[in-house]
Amino acid sequence: MSAGSLPSGSQVKDPGYPTPSENYLTNSKGILSWIFTLDHKRIGVMYLVGVTLAFGVAGLLALLIRLHLFQPDGMVFQGEEANNWYNQVFTLHGAIMVFLFIIPSVPAALGNFLVPVMLGAKDVAFPRLNLCSFYLWVFGALFFVSALCASGLDTGWTFYTPYSTTTDSSVILATSGAFILGFSSIFTGLNFIVTINTMRPPGMTWFRMPLFLWATYATSIIQVLATPVLGITLLLLIAERTMHIGIFDPEYNGDPVTFQHFFWFYSHPAVYIMILPAFGIISDLISVHSHKRIFGYRFIAYSSIAIALLGFLVWGHHMFTAGMSSLTTIIFSALTFTVSVPSAIKVFNWLATMYKGSISLTTPMCYALSFIFLFTIGGLTGLHLGTLATDMHLHDTYFVVAHFHYVMVGGTLVAFLGGVFHWWPKMFGKMYSEAGGRLSAFLVFAGFNLTFLPQFILGSRGMPRRYATYDPEFAGLHQMSTYGSMLLGFGLLVALFVLLRSVGAFSRFGLACGKKAPANPWGGATLEWQCTSPPPFYNFERAPAVGDPYDFSDLEWEADEERYVTVEPKREVIPEEQPKPAPAHAEDSN
Amino acid sequence: MFALMNNMPHLLGDQLASKFTWFPEQASTFAAENDWLFFFITWICVLFFIPIAGCLFYFCWKYCKPKGQKAESNTAHNTPLELAWSILPSFFLVAMFVMGARSYLNQRTVPEGANNIGLKAFKWGWTMDYGKGVMNPELHILANEPTKLSMRSSDVIHSVFVPAFRAKKDVVPGRYNYMWFEADVASERVSDEELAKAKFENGDGVWDYDKWQFTQDGYRFFDLYCTEYCGKNHSVMQTVVVVHETVEDLDAWIEKVSKRPADQTPEAWGEKLYNQRGCAGCHSLDGTKRVGPSFKESYGNQRRFADGTNATADEDYIRNSILYPKKQVVEGYQPVMPSYQGQLSDDDIASIIAYLKTVSDYGPKAAPVTDDEETNIEE
Repeated sequence: MSAGSLPSGSQVKDPGYPTPSENYLTNSKGILSWIFTLDHKRIGVMYLVGVTLAFGVAGLLALLIRLHLFQPDGMVFQGEEANNWYNQVFTLHGAIMVFLFIIPSVPAALGNFLVPVMLGAKDVAFPRLNLCSFYLWVFGALFFVSALCASGLDTGWTFYTPYSTTTDSSVILATSGAFILGFSSIFTGLNFIVTINTMRPPGMTWFRMPLFLWATYATSIIQVLATPVLGITLLLLIAERTMHIGIFDPEYNGDPVTFQHFFWFYSHPAVYIMILPAFGIISDLISVHSHKRIFGYRFIAYSSIAIALLGFLVWGHHMFTAGMSSLTTIIFSALTFTVSVPSAIKVFNWLATMYKGSISLTTPMCYALSFIFLFTIGGLTGLHLGTLATDMHLHDTYFVVAHFHYVMVGGTLVAFLGGVFHWWPKMFGKMYSEAGGRLSAFLVFAGFNLTFLPQFILGSRGMPRRYATYDPEFAGLHQMSTYGSMLLGFGLLVALFVLLRSVGAFSRFGLACGKKAPANPWGGATLEWQCTSPPPFYNFERAPAVGDPYDFSDLEWEADEERYVTVEPKREVIPEEQPKPAPAHAEDSN
Repeated sequence: MFALMNNMPHLLGDQLASKFTWFPEQASTFAAENDWLFFFITWICVLFFIPIAGCLFYFCWKYCKPKGQKAESNTAHNTPLELAWSILPSFFLVAMFVMGARSYLNQRTVPEGANNIGLKAFKWGWTMDYGKGVMNPELHILANEPTKLSMRSSDVIHSVFVPAFRAKKDVVPGRYNYMWFEADVASERVSDEELAKAKFENGDGVWDYDKWQFTQDGYRFFDLYCTEYCGKNHSVMQTVVVVHETVEDLDAWIEKVSKRPADQTPEAWGEKLYNQRGCAGCHSLDGTKRVGPSFKESYGNQRRFADGTNATADEDYIRNSILYPKKQVVEGYQPVMPSYQGQLSDDDIASIIAYLKTVSDYGPKAAPVTDDEETNIEE
């Protein structure tokens, strides 16, 4: 009677509700059915398209930056305004990547699709708020990008005062855009908190939730608590520019360092908004593709919460050279070291999960392995920056650039790609070319390292950040980095090609689309693998059986169908007396 | 693009050459300790990273199995092991923190009796103030003696970074920030022939530090960068640090830059002083009214003073205005200019007067007054 015991692919005829042959992608047609959809899966897909576009734009800008830095005097931008162009391009790159890609990528795109399905629920708690937050994102994104392009914002994504209160570019418009995007982020966070708190199915206790949900929950807490501070900061910045209230601008007796405190009070927790969901993805990926129970579930779950809370206490480490008092500086340094402990715990737990597992080197697993390698480098180099004396030399150099790209690109982006490859069959019902997927994972890994490893040396040798031109002695390393970025870009294009090909984007060129995806291609034990691929409109034909999300013992591989099936109904079943608002009821399965 | 590809082996060769060093030259008392700490942390990181990466690859090889095989073990947790790997690394972290913090406190606590040099950062350049009105964009300090910089910014946040000294501090407008260091490697001097050759090849233009790798006075130098993004020319907001072996050598250099070089016209020297010594802050060249009268209408003009008297702004008037600025204040302005008595030599003042003659509409080379300008001047 559990879902798994039914013959796979069996059609549950339930008049009035869509059958699995009509999935969420096909159950209604036309552009309006997407624009006004309240379905969390469609909203998730729309976010996926949106953040990918944003990433594409910001990624091209990154290549432009790297090309420019190929020569000490600058290769791309020429003439009197060359440095201004460079400054605007790196500002655009950073701002789009941070506000439009990294922050919404995993929670909004993958989270929207997965949170309700993983909970066995029909939708998020507030579907209309969910659509609203998507449109706020679109509106904010258009507003933000057009403001940046029209006026040539050149403050960097950090908007440091007094530069941002005195520059000619339209800081007010850009910060208004970021302000709107902040609301989108808060709404999504609120929605997930309420959904996870109230809509967990019977039997799914907190410690039987998939770790992706734990990570999303911790992320949502930060989004709700920290984003308002960004809103306040940006409003104060606007007030400073228009009314000269004298809080940030020394011209009116303000203190510019106050802005840095405000800004990093949001933006440091925001770093964890960017990386925590990635941890969640990797925990699930490592466990599923090792076909082994996650090691130290509670430590991983608690460490997510610990990171979320400690992340609020370390913002000062962005300002070690700004002239804070010695005591403040030392306290921030000490707190910074405490954050590294929960991150290290996760890495050890992932390795222990692989130990004596049954590892399948699938594309998502390749990305997950790549994540562990790169994130470990990113995390360890953070120690050099948290140590006060060494930070005096490394602060605001390319060492910092390399460090945070290892965390944000090697970490979040690689985890995001791993997640997309992992859940792609579920989202679109098609399998992609494994060879192509693995090739992309390798190219991204190699290109990434070639781009950013040289930057650690550049920074140690004293190359400052945000330089449009540089001293000739740095040229060789910069050129290696540029070659690496080309390789990285190529690898990402391969990934895009592999995924689009699987859904038939290139079928007119004679490239066959992928095979139809089974319900459970990887052998996952979380609930999303119990519904068909792609899921039906209401996600589940009947309330799914909630079991241990990391118990793989009753999943068997069926080689001729290339899928995993549940062999014994060992799982705990939902008590019948608790009716669910799901479309199909228990009578059918009896 | 093909040309770029051809460079590749050559570039890699450069990087792999035996002279490869991770850090720039160590030239201050902080450098050795900082680098030691850096490598200490790095080796701890390697100590952790190699087992992590090793396990990653080994497990992938060892436990890679065809689909459908069950895991060999399903251990869910092991609390002692987990507590061990949570707590043991913390000892390394405490060691890093303590060493980093101690070394940092040392870098922050300025020793008594340090030589004080003022530093002003602006978009996009630096002015070092050596006292007695001697100012220069280059930072010249004494070897084996602590130097303290008292730093201020006149516009946005900048940051002083001397990689060879491993020292960095932001320069924040609206407050003074301080930093100190003790250089322990003196700058060498290049031979006179080399200097003469470079001066000849460089011509009268801006001195190309990157090309020659020594200053106009023939000293080798350490780079000083701005490391806080400050706008358009952030990346060229650089200057150099020259470390002098002896006080005599430093004083000789200060003496040299405080006087007009023999090959410079008084007008050019006056212009330099106008820009370097803060005249430009209050006196415009284009007629705009700032804190003080514009130099466009100063020299040779009839001036009316706050006490009701009149006089022509001649050489003697300008000299008096520089030395005793509150005596004759032009009507409509506040008596706020500080006296430059003792800070400018007679030759400096003469040079400034020579320069003012060239920028004033009433000067000796003044063009015939046209109708447009007439309305501009009369007020």
